[in-house]
Amino acid sequence: MSFAIETEGLIKIFRNRWSGKEVRAVDGISLRVEQGSTFGLLGPNGAGKTTFVKMLLSCAHPTAGRAAIFGRDARHPEARRPIGYLPENHRFPTYMTGRSMLDFYGALSGMNTAARQKRIPELLGTLGLGDWGNVRLGKYSKGMLQRVGLAQALMHAPRLLILDEPTDGVDPIGRIQIRELLQGLEQQGVTIFLNSHLLSEVELFCRDVAIIHRGRVALEGKVKELTAGSGYRVEAEQVPDRLQEELRAKARAVAQRNGNVEFVFSSREDANQAVDRLRSEHCAIETVARTTSTLEEVFVKVIHEQ
Amino acid sequence: MSSRSLSVTAALVRDTFREAFSRKIFWGFFGCSTALILFFIFILRIDVVQGAVATVSLFGNTSPARNVQKIVRQAHGAIAAFLFTAGMFLAVFASAGLIPSVFEPGRIELLLSKPVERYHILIGRYIGNLLVIALNVFYLVFTVWLIFGLKTGVWTYGFLWSSALTLFVFAILLTVVVLIGVLWESAVIATMVTFGLMLVSPILAQKPLLERLLTSETSRNIVRTLYYVLPKVFDLGRICRALVIGDPIGDWMPIWSSAIFGVVVFGTGLYAFSKRNY
Repeated sequence: MSFAIETEGLIKIFRNRWSGKEVRAVDGISLRVEQGSTFGLLGPNGAGKTTFVKMLLSCAHPTAGRAAIFGRDARHPEARRPIGYLPENHRFPTYMTGRSMLDFYGALSGMNTAARQKRIPELLGTLGLGDWGNVRLGKYSKGMLQRVGLAQALMHAPRLLILDEPTDGVDPIGRIQIRELLQGLEQQGVTIFLNSHLLSEVELFCRDVAIIHRGRVALEGKVKELTAGSGYRVEAEQVPDRLQEELRAKARAVAQRNGNVEFVFSSREDANQAVDRLRSEHCAIETVARTTSTLEEVFVKVIHEQ
Repeated sequence: MSSRSLSVTAALVRDTFREAFSRKIFWGFFGCSTALILFFIFILRIDVVQGAVATVSLFGNTSPARNVQKIVRQAHGAIAAFLFTAGMFLAVFASAGLIPSVFEPGRIELLLSKPVERYHILIGRYIGNLLVIALNVFYLVFTVWLIFGLKTGVWTYGFLWSSALTLFVFAILLTVVVLIGVLWESAVIATMVTFGLMLVSPILAQKPLLERLLTSETSRNIVRTLYYVLPKVFDLGRICRALVIGDPIGDWMPIWSSAIFGVVVFGTGLYAFSKRNY
C-alpha cells in the first residue's frame, strides 16, 4: 500500500554561511500518513513542523532521509501534482483578483483553460466569495484571503491537501464552513494534512496526529486513543467533610463546583468504592462519568516530558 | 516543449505582465514611447512639389531633398542612442523589482509547491520581463521607422536591427538581475550591480589606453580580464550606431562574448535557484 505521505529518517540541517553554526531543524522524522486520513501535525513554535512540510513540497532540500508522496519521490515535480497547499504566512500578489489568482495557480497545477473557467466560479461560490472574484486581493480581509487561499489549494481537485493554519483569521462561522468543506473532502477520500496551532481544531477534525518537538516525533497515534481513558469523575452533593477527607486520599483530584464536590479517580475500582461510600452516607450522586484528556493536555504533557 | 509546459510558461508570462501593469511599468514605458512618437509626427515636416520630396524640416532645420537620407539616419541615430542609454537605465530600474518579487516569503513557497520545475519558474518570469520591455522597444522603434519611412520614403533597416541589439543588451543585463535576485532577493542590489556594469563598461572599453597608462602587468591583466569577462555595453552601443548609420560592423566579439556572459550568469542563477531552501 502506498501512503499519501511517507518519510524515512528525514533530516534538515541549516548551516550558517558565515559562522558555520548548525541547526538541526528536523532530526530524523519517519512518518506515514494513510491515504484518505485526516492527519494533524502539532508542535510548539520552532519544533520543525514548517521545515518538515517544506521538504514534502521540495521548497527545502533534505540533508538526509527520504520523503515520498503517494509512493513517488517528493523531489520530483510530478509528486506535487496531487497536492493542494495553503501556506501559513501566504502573500498572494495583491495585483491579482481572486479570479486571476485562481486562474494562475490552476494553470501552474496543469489545468487547461476550459477546466479552469469551469472550476473558478464553482470554488468562489463554495467559499462564499462569489461576488468578490473580480476584486483585487489587496481589498480582501484576512479571512477572505484565507478562503481564496483555500480555493487556490482546491483548484485542481487534489488528492492530498496540506494546510498550514487554514482557519487563521477566519471568523467562527467561516471556520465552521471550512470545517464542513474539509469534512466533505474527507468523505470523498481526500487526504488532509493539517498543520495547526489550534489544538481544539485538530482534535475536532483529525483522526491521526503527530506531535513534533525539537525536530523529532515525540508522539504519534490516533486522536481517540491518545485522549481516551484517563480516569473517572464522580460528582455528588452534600458530602460531609469527614467523607470528603476520606475520599480525597484516594482521588487524583478534588474540586468544589456549585456546592457539589467532584472527585477524579484513576481506577474504576476506586470510583466504585467512592460511589458505595457516598451512597452509604446518603449523598446524592450527580454524575459518574469516564473522563478523557483533551489533546491540549496530551500535548502539554508530551512537551514537558521531553 | 509540451502543451502543458507552454501553458505554464504562458501563465508565468501573463503574471509578469499583470505585475508590470499594476506597477505602472508597462504603461509608463508605453506613455514615454507614445510621447516620443507624437513628437516625431509633429516635428517632421515634408514639403512635396510635383509628387517628389522637395524639402525636409526637422527640429526647425530645413534641408533639401538630397539630404533626406542623412537627416533620417541622424534622427534614427538619436532615438537609438536614447534607447541604448536612458532607455536601458529606465528598463533595468523599472524591471529590477519584477524578478526578486517572486522570491518573497509566502509567495515562493506556493509557486514551488506546484508541479513545475524550478528552472521553468525562473525562465517564465525572465521571458515575461523581457517581453514587457521588448513590446515597448519595438512599438517605439517600429512606429518611428514607419513614420519616417512614410513621410520621407527612406526605409533603412539598420534602425530596426539596432532595436534588436538594444533588447539583446537588456536581456544580458537582466540575467544579472536574475542572479542577484536569486542570491539576495533584493531589487536594490540588483539595480546597483547592473548599473555598475553599465557604468564600468565605457571605462573598460578604453582598454588600449588603459594598457598604455597602467605600469604594472597585474593591473593590465585585471583590466583585460574584466574587459573580456564583463558585458561590453559600450562596444555594443558602437555596433548599434554602426547599424543605424549603415557602417559595416568590424568586430563581432562584443556580441558573442557578452552573450557568453549572459548564458553563464543565467545558468548560475538557475543553478543557485535549484539549490536554495525556501
